[in-house]
Amino acid sequence: MTIPTDIPNSRRDFFARTSDGILGAAMTYLLSRDFFGKSVLASETESHAAESRQAFNLQARQPHHEPQAKSVIQLFMNGGPSQMDLFDPKPELNRRDGKLFPGNVEEIGNQGTDDIGVMMGGRYQFDRHGESGMWMADVLPHTAAMADDLCLINSLWTDHPNHDNALYKIHSGRLFMGYPTLGSWTVYGLGTENQNLPAYVVLQDPLGPPKNGTRNWTAGFLPPLYQGTPLRPTGSPILNLKPKYEQPSAVTESAARLLSTLDELHRQKRPHAPELESRIESYGLAARMQLSATEALDLNRESKATHSLYGIGERWTDSYGRRCLLARRLVERGVRFVQIFMEEQPWDSHADLADNHRGACLRTDKPVAALLRDLKERGLLDSTLVVWGGEFGRTPTTQKSANGYSGRDHNMQAFTSWMAGGGIKGGTTYGQTDEFGHKVVENPVSVHDFHATILHQLGLHHEKLYFERSGLEERLTGVTPPRVVSEILS
Amino acid sequence: MRNLFLTNFPGLICCLLAVSPALADAPPLLFEKDVRPILQAKCAKCHSNTVQKGALDLSSMKGLHKGGESGESALADSVEESMLWIMIDGGGMPPESEPQLTDDEKQTIRQWLGSGAHATDHVERREKQITQHDVLPIVLLRCVTCHGARIQRGGLDLRTPTAMKQGGENGPALIPGDPDQSLMIQRIESEACPPRDQLLKYFVRRPGTAEVETLRQWIAAGAREFEIDPDNNSVSLVTDEDRRHWSFQPYQSSFDRDSIDEFIIAKLKTEELAMSAQADRDTLIRRAYLDLIGMPPSLEEWKHWHHSDDSDWYANMIDELLDSPHYGERWGQYWLDLAGYADSEGGVSADPVRKVAWKYRDYVIDAFNEDKPYDQFLTEQIAGDELLDHENATEVTPQMVDNLIATGFLRMGIDQTGSRTMNFVPERLGVIDGAINVLGSAVMGLTLECARCHSHKYDPLPQRDYYRLKAIFQGAYDEHDWLTFKNRYLYVDTPERRRQVADVNPPLEKQVRSLSRELKQAETALRLELLRQHYPEQSEEDRNETLRALGIADNNRSLSQRILVEKLQTAELIPDEKQPVSVLEARQHVADLQEEIESIQQEMEPSLAIRALWDRGEPSPTYLLRRGEHDRPGPLVSPGVPAVLTDGQTPFEVTPPFPEGTPKSGRRLAFAQWLTQPDHPLTARVLVNRVWYHHFGKGLVKSLQNFGVNGDRPSHPELLDWLAMTFVESGWSIKSLHRTIMNSQTYKQSSRVTEESYRRDPNNRWLSHMPMRRLDAEALRDSLLFVAGRLDQRFGGPPNPISVDRDGLISVKPTADGQWPRSVYVLHRRTQIPSFMATFDYPVMGPNCVSRTVSTVSLQPLMLKNGEHVWELARSLAERVTSQLGESAGDADAVDLVYKLALSRMPDDRERQLGIDTLREFRAEWQDQPDLALITYCHTILNSAEFIYID
Repeated sequence: MTIPTDIPNSRRDFFARTSDGILGAAMTYLLSRDFFGKSVLASETESHAAESRQAFNLQARQPHHEPQAKSVIQLFMNGGPSQMDLFDPKPELNRRDGKLFPGNVEEIGNQGTDDIGVMMGGRYQFDRHGESGMWMADVLPHTAAMADDLCLINSLWTDHPNHDNALYKIHSGRLFMGYPTLGSWTVYGLGTENQNLPAYVVLQDPLGPPKNGTRNWTAGFLPPLYQGTPLRPTGSPILNLKPKYEQPSAVTESAARLLSTLDELHRQKRPHAPELESRIESYGLAARMQLSATEALDLNRESKATHSLYGIGERWTDSYGRRCLLARRLVERGVRFVQIFMEEQPWDSHADLADNHRGACLRTDKPVAALLRDLKERGLLDSTLVVWGGEFGRTPTTQKSANGYSGRDHNMQAFTSWMAGGGIKGGTTYGQTDEFGHKVVENPVSVHDFHATILHQLGLHHEKLYFERSGLEERLTGVTPPRVVSEILS
Repeated sequence: MRNLFLTNFPGLICCLLAVSPALADAPPLLFEKDVRPILQAKCAKCHSNTVQKGALDLSSMKGLHKGGESGESALADSVEESMLWIMIDGGGMPPESEPQLTDDEKQTIRQWLGSGAHATDHVERREKQITQHDVLPIVLLRCVTCHGARIQRGGLDLRTPTAMKQGGENGPALIPGDPDQSLMIQRIESEACPPRDQLLKYFVRRPGTAEVETLRQWIAAGAREFEIDPDNNSVSLVTDEDRRHWSFQPYQSSFDRDSIDEFIIAKLKTEELAMSAQADRDTLIRRAYLDLIGMPPSLEEWKHWHHSDDSDWYANMIDELLDSPHYGERWGQYWLDLAGYADSEGGVSADPVRKVAWKYRDYVIDAFNEDKPYDQFLTEQIAGDELLDHENATEVTPQMVDNLIATGFLRMGIDQTGSRTMNFVPERLGVIDGAINVLGSAVMGLTLECARCHSHKYDPLPQRDYYRLKAIFQGAYDEHDWLTFKNRYLYVDTPERRRQVADVNPPLEKQVRSLSRELKQAETALRLELLRQHYPEQSEEDRNETLRALGIADNNRSLSQRILVEKLQTAELIPDEKQPVSVLEARQHVADLQEEIESIQQEMEPSLAIRALWDRGEPSPTYLLRRGEHDRPGPLVSPGVPAVLTDGQTPFEVTPPFPEGTPKSGRRLAFAQWLTQPDHPLTARVLVNRVWYHHFGKGLVKSLQNFGVNGDRPSHPELLDWLAMTFVESGWSIKSLHRTIMNSQTYKQSSRVTEESYRRDPNNRWLSHMPMRRLDAEALRDSLLFVAGRLDQRFGGPPNPISVDRDGLISVKPTADGQWPRSVYVLHRRTQIPSFMATFDYPVMGPNCVSRTVSTVSLQPLMLKNGEHVWELARSLAERVTSQLGESAGDADAVDLVYKLALSRMPDDRERQLGIDTLREFRAEWQDQPDLALITYCHTILNSAEFIYID
């Protein structure tokens, strides 16, 4: 058995001189890595050669084709925002306000028909905006000001009128749980550019998790490292980012030194064991994450002007504004995929739609527009794809609820989502619904098409992005080939 | 009966298609002369009149028109829409391994299709005759819920043509020859049936117009019943060549060699490699313990084996470990992964908890501990309900109960059919597919689920065979006579257990009810206190309105209600240290009550409920579903096994198991008996390969779940067969398989990689050394607890609860005496897997997990190094060391003991010195808390690579 005779001792001396209390353990790790003079990254690529299909990592990978976007920010509007009230004005529906639905009520498309009420016209005033003359309701004044950067897709449709299943569908392309989400597929396909931060970050509302909880960012059957990392809304943002016990920094450093030494002794006795190097490296990453994440998540480093742009410090917008600003700081640092959620499902307005949607808009409109403006000013909008939308839309008819008939039911047959940046053609309105906004009549976009388009912008081809499971090639976009919606690409 | 003659069909197409001018004058291409020879040469191997892969015959125009199993013609109005063209133009046909069509040949076919697909012979196309088997699937889907086995509204049963004609209280359901006067047509067309207001109640959707038309036509033609055999003639779908694939052949049974080592050494020789030296004794001890029981040895055990001078110490150690009850916990978990074990239903967002799934978990653990013969183990799990007739027994025996619990195997997948809106036929078919998938991937090494929508792309598994397997389950899982996860329970137990439950539970239940009421009040009081403290200005009326709003589903709240609730939520989020005392007291009161309820519940006798799968005696007919779509029925199929695993001639025999007793179809029993024949080519091979995988980190066949054409070939085919044969001869004893493997020199090798073996065999395919492996989530967690002396030693029973803190950290709740159970006993709720386990690659079960992945990510060190739990365990380990050595012992002794407890070995001099030096350093750094030095040292050792990697 050969024991390295010189290294540990000199390391000890070395660290005794260089460690200081400010950088602490993290610095110790960084230095220890350099000190051993071995390029861990090189050894990692080596280890992933050949047959290591059971070993996975988050190293940046080559896309399939030239990407337009490097990152995605998904502003997920849980509950199903109403298309005919916000983006897709329907004069005919307005005229028929209070009248019976003219067709067969079973075609409304929900499970039961008992509680269907009369037609309800749009609740807000619409106007055209920007040079493109894009329609938008008056409850979204800030977003409307960015109209020429947006592409409205009015012709999305999905396959299930229940939240749970429609959520699985919009996030993972399937109606059932257990499948990887768009974000997981993205980081599986592309890895990430900043190893010191999680590749796929989820920003939740401090008021609570969204409907379906962690399943909105699950890696499904992909290895768990591809799942979204929720930044916790309270306390330490990443689980165990900081020690959960009190310890003087000198102790932390000594312990880190001891661990490095033990692991290095262990590794040297076991040549050709790349997993041991990866593990040593992972301790380094963890320590660096402690520094990077703390820095990345510190909104106090932003100017007052930026804070006020996002509405931080204002009653209605503070919470969502913080998440939007955080999202910008994350993509700026190379995080691949960011999802922002609101609590439970605030857009799900079976009752009091006019008030409820106004409230949800009030909370999100200003921060969302600020995010677009801010990304644009920093030159990041070109490489960041921003996606806004929910899991389905709403019906042209009202529905009986606690407050009588004042809201709309779920509509899987048509809904609106918008994209901006990342090579999307701004000022575009794509697809058409019928005179009530109930069904798509022109240029339908399925959820698979939607996903394929997002992957396309990231440089991933939906067909080439697959994972082999039980002899099957599993894909985000399923078996039937989807269509990249090329008309909305610049 | 209407016949539709389409003799002019080709000419018609000719007019529809744009034909290029140059071709217009040329004589038209003809099928017989121009196209058939090409198809004959390049396609006939699989698509002829004798072999019909995908149910497609390309030898005649008739076959082309008929098309394949999707029910779609191979020809169409345009070239681009013709399936024939789609398949040969980028559709992957002929398969890569076969001679390809030349460009000229493709062009000929294209021109022929483009010019109207002419043929010399007249093609007489008769419209398909409508039979009862076109009608029954529609009736099953739309009508039998109210007019079938369970309910017969109006005294009407629509399950057979005879019963339809017989009718109910209002007379016959149909009048042959007169659809307009037939009651069932009238009821459907007037939308009286299925009744609109009950569609969701019974999970039925209305028939489409095409379906009604089919009913009409059948009635118009006399509502005749035809003698139709189920389509189970396999001759043309699977060939003898298909049967030649290695894993479909019986395993070899005579060998030149007779031990694992002989096979391995022979192969190493040809690769110019040699076996590594035997690992040292401490390594062997640790390896065997972690491998067999998932925890390192205790100090006493380690000492015993370390110092033993018995020459058989190693074999004795293996025997003792196999006798340990912890063995079943470790190896049972592997099986639970395959079954897709979970303590919740999944699917819907509520993720309802399965209260008694744990009975199946305990059954599996016990079966491994008892070394239940694998053939019996499988039979009980697949068909336990058909082994003993508990319904006709004078007394229910423990064996009957166990058999029923065992059938939980096929009930572990995601099931959302108990929810308000997710119990339609497609969701039910999803549950059945999950079970078939589990059976295929876990037991048969076949990707059966691939054949659900179309014949398997690679394996000779026609779509029909998938539906024959589905028919095996039809007696229990009948999508037209469904039990949801809420009512698919049996309440069967021994008289003794029944008495216990009746004696013990009622008073406890009463206590729980009263405490629950108290808890509700306490929660209300807490909320009011939060509001009063944080919003003193708020009116009492608003506070009461907040409580009312909580009772309304969040999506039905008005904006003002939402705002009120939000205020409450904001107040709830304020951390404890910033809450006033009154709130903390109210919180404590709530927590106390919750704890009290939980502890009473733990005293209760487990419920009699069994999450079983049982045959209900009246299976609906099974139809192939074209493209897997529930409303596109194809031919009738009978129960059966994949044709490629049979001689293709012998019919699959099914006999009801209790002819004098409870009616049961016996299909699953027949299937289990077929599966567990000693010479079944897959069953034993798949199992021994799996056991090998867990010992060596890699299967002899790497694709554990796929022994099909696209799976990997075995690295040591003879060894695999020898193991399979030995296994079956031992009476399907898994423990004896462990002995065979672990006593081999191959297993006892060192894990050090030499330059030579790295150069020649970097992936260690030929096993010139043992692989080094990381502990999986359970072994890591259990080992940490064990080493810290905090492992609860109880076995079995209802799962240990978990807790979710305000930050989303999911933890296992400690027991009353501050210990934690083994991971296998923790609540496995799909949406709340303990954070520690999820971080170390505990999988999402969907529907099961055939092999775990190993990731190395920075969240793992964060968990081990910064997490509270591991720090606490380090403290316990330090306390163990101190209490064993006494306060006065020196650092050297402490270091030695930590090594022995945590790493099952002595430190070498250098490591000891390093430990002593570091302890001194820690003491200086901790200043006023020197006792923390040892904890910090233990914490570091528990974080070390050596702790979590097995040599």
